[in-house]
Amino acid sequence: MKFRDDFPLPDVDWPPTQPFWAGAARGELVLPRCDACRRFVWYPDGACRVCGGVKLTWTAVSGRGRLFSWSVVHRAFIPQLADAVPYVTGLVAVDEDPAVRLVTRVVDAEPGRLRVDMPGRIVFRPLRFAGVTRTVPAPFFAPE
Amino acid sequence: MSSSSRPIRWPSFYFGTVVILWEGSGADCQSYFQSAPSSPTDRKLAHDRHRQFDPTTTPVALCLRMPASADWGFPSPLEDVSGQIAIAGVGEADHTKASGRTPRQIAAQAVERALADAGLAPEDVDGIMYTPFDGQQLTADDYRAHFGTTHDMWVSTQGGGMVWAGSAPHEAALAIRTGKARAIVNVFSVAWATQRAEMMGGPGEVHAAELFKQNLEVPFGWFPQPVYFATIARRHMHEYGTTPEQLGAIAVACRRHANLTPAAVMREKPLSLAQYLASPPLCDPFRKEDCCLISDGGGAYVMTSVERARDLRKPVVEVAGVGVGNSRTGAYWSQQGDFTATPQVFAAPGAFRMAGLTPADVDVLACYDPFTIVSLMQIEDIGFCAKGEGGPFVEGTTLHFDGGRLPYNTHGGMLSHAYVLGIAHVVEIVRQLRGEAAAQVKDAEVGIYGGYTGPQASTLILRRAT
Repeated sequence: MKFRDDFPLPDVDWPPTQPFWAGAARGELVLPRCDACRRFVWYPDGACRVCGGVKLTWTAVSGRGRLFSWSVVHRAFIPQLADAVPYVTGLVAVDEDPAVRLVTRVVDAEPGRLRVDMPGRIVFRPLRFAGVTRTVPAPFFAPE
Repeated sequence: MSSSSRPIRWPSFYFGTVVILWEGSGADCQSYFQSAPSSPTDRKLAHDRHRQFDPTTTPVALCLRMPASADWGFPSPLEDVSGQIAIAGVGEADHTKASGRTPRQIAAQAVERALADAGLAPEDVDGIMYTPFDGQQLTADDYRAHFGTTHDMWVSTQGGGMVWAGSAPHEAALAIRTGKARAIVNVFSVAWATQRAEMMGGPGEVHAAELFKQNLEVPFGWFPQPVYFATIARRHMHEYGTTPEQLGAIAVACRRHANLTPAAVMREKPLSLAQYLASPPLCDPFRKEDCCLISDGGGAYVMTSVERARDLRKPVVEVAGVGVGNSRTGAYWSQQGDFTATPQVFAAPGAFRMAGLTPADVDVLACYDPFTIVSLMQIEDIGFCAKGEGGPFVEGTTLHFDGGRLPYNTHGGMLSHAYVLGIAHVVEIVRQLRGEAAAQVKDAEVGIYGGYTGPQASTLILRRAT
């Protein structure tokens, strides 16, 4: 398997998630929502899991959510994260539909004060990796 | 279309590849981003493998009653095969760190030992089951070439380790019942310890290659599997009060069993709870002792009818029940409806029903254990305690072979025996039921293997025949 030279940056042009990254570039969190049943569909790998609806519309959400769970990663499992460790990565349940869990990094908070289900909001910061010159604006979670 | 009937369409390679496990020193993962052996043929086979458990493509005649189930997953309908076949021979290859062997060499050694154990000649085995996922497994052609035979063999690619180490006996029973084969070997091997050094890929690569993960998870450092399951462990701790000491009790029990097992990779390395707790965080709340080894090794077991097994040399261990459960979100752990459960909740009830047994009847348990938390969740989900009570349940010596309430991974499991993806777990359960194990459970009559991939789980109930 050959990975892109800028791995692990996202491929912002990959059609299934292109609107997500375009939204991040505008400073907006957008998620696909089923036109038929109004539920969010995450990940958008096909039809709506609830009703089978095939028409999804990318919809801006507030960016507010709760920290569902996380890990403090001390070892760089890939070399591009060598200068990032230790970092906090985890899942955020978005307020508009807590069944949608956004994978993100947790910023602006000491790991010791993190609590499961604590509220917070999405902030947009550049993703940077060791050995990769380009950066991509991405949604991070800042607990309150 | 209701959510209870709609199968998720899952990229085929999830079903052809391994869920991860870790011994993990920092540089290990660098090797995962080189080359991956996966031919179009293998991917097609992997896709076919998935279809086997798709209820929309399974003939209605094969469907048993399907229990009402939570929305995030569902059981596979399986025909009753209880008491029809036996596991008549088991064999393990040498389990080692990097050894320079190929997976086929390892597999052939395991098959030789399984045949010897059963007292069968190579031509007596006319069926073979393996997984196509890495293109390196022992095929029928490899079998014939190794043993110098030319006989016809029934072939299934629904075999191997992980979930399939537990579900293969179901398909084998159908094949034996219908006369497609008389004796079938299921075999699995890995050489990841060797291949890691040669930079030929590894257990994390498939997840980095999957494009939703590559674009929505990996950029945030939520990768690879130790990070997924550390996140699951923290949520389990939050929901149920599970503690590091309780996860440590699992690691300590497995290590103690490995210390007693000559074939275990960690047989010379004791682990106390104090040592576990003093170990630094890897990806908190995990320490490296929460994560499995990476090994070269493999195993095989030979199945035949119970009737025929009675004429062979070893005590008869019959297949009493099989169950398979599925998660609708497949290997997207981040989105699984019940984040702190496994598809065992969908697999185990059908297996117990088929066997006519309950968890209280079980004398010894072996579960696919990439991480301590996966052991804990399966112990809960198979029904040995209420959901959420796994932590208090495993404390102390509950899981120990000598007097524990639920002897668990009595060979050491993937944490401490070898990372051979569950095939050695089935071998161990058979030995326990024969009374041949190194860390032998007294009078063990019923044993279970719990298989797991994330997308699926399997429950294999074995019983010493009377």
